[in-house]
Amino acid sequence: MENSVILKIEHIYKNFGGILALNGVSFSVEANSITGLIGPNGSGKSTLFNVISGFYRKDSGEIYFRGEKIEGLEPCNIAMLGIGRTFQISEAPEKTTVLENLLLAPKRQCGEGVFNVFLNPLRIRREHEQHLNNALGILELIQLTDLKNEYAENLSGGQKKLLSLGRILMSEPQLLLLDEPTAGVNPTLVKDLMVAIRNLRDQKGITILLVEHNMRVISEICERVIVLDFGQKIAEGTPEEIQSNEAVLEAYLSGSSKRGLFREDT
Amino acid sequence: MGLVNFLVYLAIMMGIYGILSLSLNLQYGFTGLANFGHVAFFCLGAYTSTRLVLVFKMPFIIGLLGAMVIAGLFGYVISIPTANLKEDYWAIATLAAAEVVRIFFLNEDWVVGGGPYQGGSFGIGGIPQPLRSLFSAYTYPFFYLAVVLVCLLATYVIINALTQSPFGRVIKSIRSGDNLPQALGKDVRAFRMKVMAIGGTFGGLAGCLWAHYHGFISPNQFLPLETFIVWAMVIVGGKANNKGAIVGAVVIMVFYNSTRFLKDYIPIEEVTLASLRMVVIGVLIVIAMIFMKEGLIKEKKTVY
Repeated sequence: MENSVILKIEHIYKNFGGILALNGVSFSVEANSITGLIGPNGSGKSTLFNVISGFYRKDSGEIYFRGEKIEGLEPCNIAMLGIGRTFQISEAPEKTTVLENLLLAPKRQCGEGVFNVFLNPLRIRREHEQHLNNALGILELIQLTDLKNEYAENLSGGQKKLLSLGRILMSEPQLLLLDEPTAGVNPTLVKDLMVAIRNLRDQKGITILLVEHNMRVISEICERVIVLDFGQKIAEGTPEEIQSNEAVLEAYLSGSSKRGLFREDT
Repeated sequence: MGLVNFLVYLAIMMGIYGILSLSLNLQYGFTGLANFGHVAFFCLGAYTSTRLVLVFKMPFIIGLLGAMVIAGLFGYVISIPTANLKEDYWAIATLAAAEVVRIFFLNEDWVVGGGPYQGGSFGIGGIPQPLRSLFSAYTYPFFYLAVVLVCLLATYVIINALTQSPFGRVIKSIRSGDNLPQALGKDVRAFRMKVMAIGGTFGGLAGCLWAHYHGFISPNQFLPLETFIVWAMVIVGGKANNKGAIVGAVVIMVFYNSTRFLKDYIPIEEVTLASLRMVVIGVLIVIAMIFMKEGLIKEKKTVY
């Protein structure tokens, strides 16, 4: 299974009223890999995530997940196929606790059916115990155990990021799209988070595609890196190859953001 | 005796409105659906049961179940075109749907049998009261109160079970926007439709109880104003709290009926008095908005 492709993207175009956000992007993600998606601000990374997860409709192009074409599906259907995603700005529903957020995520819960609530109480209780157990394990991982009964809206930005990672893990995706998982997270926790992300792949076999601005995270955990600029793929390779790629340096240095690619901070 | 009668009447109204308030709370409080047309379910329930019992001579229980089924179906059907609308558009669409229902009954006399001075704007009287012959005129309201309270309890138990289940967790997550539940694989549209159907079902139940209690219904009892009285109950009682919804119904009903006693103390005309009750409700909403944003009973935190 080492080389099988889990996600294949072909010639994706997406236009926002004249601005070409995605200009024919194509690439593949191998199963069981950790792939980084980088690029200057406005290069189309988040748009691409939104297209893959169905929140935006693509203008043209094809997306294949495990060999099957994804076409015209609602975001919830795509999530059910096994593509999980987090958002750049973490969402947390109001008046729901951290633990409730985690318990919300598992798919196909018996108790989500109106009639099951009255007809299958035992099965719902059994599932609940099981989900609660998983949730407590995930709380340990994201270090939010002490805050489990706190309303999620009261968490800090970084904690919300962690919560959104924990929440999507509860839904047991096969492919995980992480939009800046370490942004706003305390640096010591970033290390734990990197270990955790690697463990997800090693132990649970989850394929990970992540957008990240922190190059240290990228070079430490990603096997492959894909670079976008102006809605096009400009480079692909190992982190080392990318760091010395002319086109990449050009994109970052001449781009409007003018930010350094390889700074050691954050 | 007059006072006891009045109190029993008040309790019956509290029970019926409590059912309405619980069902609106499921839609607005828990799911965030700004349903401005809740009276449509009330109206449909009243007319369906009247049709079944008065015209088709069916037993009361069939009228009650029929009212729930028809109103629930209506909730499901109106959410087909509207389920993807955002909150304010949803409010407008439901408000319009309720007016459509009312105007339908205003124009279609045949629904309740037809005949001279019957149906349409004349309304329809003589709606039979269940098991009326077994009770005296004095004891019957007590029996009816018991029926209403049983229905209220059943509504509370069912809606409470739903809101505390995984189903309840999903609808609470929809309240703050579709993106997150969508990304977790929850079919937001389907959940909204289910909530509209469930809320509609219980709205229909309340309508049936109302029709058979008063024995007379007419379209002008189902003006949009009724919806807003129920809204006041949810806002004052505490949204997303089922006990709050019932408390809200009790409080609003007390204030709503309190103005009738004012004429003993203040020289005021009956007509003015009727409008005054709306002012009282309005003031209560404003007070709740300023001093108790979350209502009398706050939303409960779920702790495991």
